[in-house]
Amino acid sequence: MAKENILSEKESLRIIQDMIQKAKAGAHYERGHGPILWGSVIGFAGLMSFLEQYFEWDIGFDWWLLTLIALIPQVFIVLNERKNKQVRTHEARAIDMVWTVFGLSIFALVFYYNLVPQTTMRLLAAQDIKIWEQQGVNGPLVPLQYFVPSVASLHLMIYAFPTLVTGIVIKCRSMLFGAFICYLLFILSMFTPSMWDMLLLGIAGVFNWLIPGIILRNQYLHSLKKKHV
Amino acid sequence: MFKELDPILHSQLRLATVSLLISVKEAEFTFIKEKTNATAGNLSVQLNKLKDAGYIEITKHFKDNYPQTLCRITSKGLDAFEKYVANLQSYINGTESS
Repeated sequence: MAKENILSEKESLRIIQDMIQKAKAGAHYERGHGPILWGSVIGFAGLMSFLEQYFEWDIGFDWWLLTLIALIPQVFIVLNERKNKQVRTHEARAIDMVWTVFGLSIFALVFYYNLVPQTTMRLLAAQDIKIWEQQGVNGPLVPLQYFVPSVASLHLMIYAFPTLVTGIVIKCRSMLFGAFICYLLFILSMFTPSMWDMLLLGIAGVFNWLIPGIILRNQYLHSLKKKHV
Repeated sequence: MFKELDPILHSQLRLATVSLLISVKEAEFTFIKEKTNATAGNLSVQLNKLKDAGYIEITKHFKDNYPQTLCRITSKGLDAFEKYVANLQSYINGTESS
């Protein structure tokens, strides 16, 4: 394409089609680092939280705090990808926005179920209302500690959303499958106690992000290999 | 009566470049060079022609001490491309029906 030739109409059309195809093929949205990181962290935290409750260990550490630590490598991943990206597509920009909104929603959800029970207790106390619970058939009556039930279900429902959107846009079957599994786990979590919900969250991390991340990483490395042959 | 095809776009490399940029938000010079198989010198000349016509925007900055050239299509470029494709279709339809 170095020389300037006189173009026929059909040649022009062919060039337009070729270039649009090349632009799509050359613009990898995902190299897999982010999904592998988050899939591993959520998978590990979920599994460890489940094991801790199942075997009644008391490690004295909330495994979900690992998600805050994972923000540090995530920042490096984003900066590195921005630095090395030669092209930015409209699709990639839209998908990035979806993931940003997802991140904000997760933070908002954490605030929600940490603040709402206290607020509820305060509001009821202001109206002189107190609800009691009886521990056991003949057990003592104690004031009910408010909580938001099955928060894991809310997490699972939100986890599925960005993966599903990304899977549809980039036509990634493993992400579509991961999102589908996540919705199934969401339904299941409505019927399981919170200990098992931890395990469901871990499984969701693996199917939703870790496995698609590994597949996307392999595809990206394969495309690099083909490029350099 | 066929409408005249835009001479700025009716050139192999310029058309290829605009077709690439139409599909993305922005692209680096090296990406366009790789996809069009053009030489750096030729591509540079054609990009400047597109820029002078107001069809693309070129921004230059430094990344790790190396100059980086980013190109993106303008709304004028988008309109011109759409018009070019429409005219092209009328040419092809006209040729096929005659």
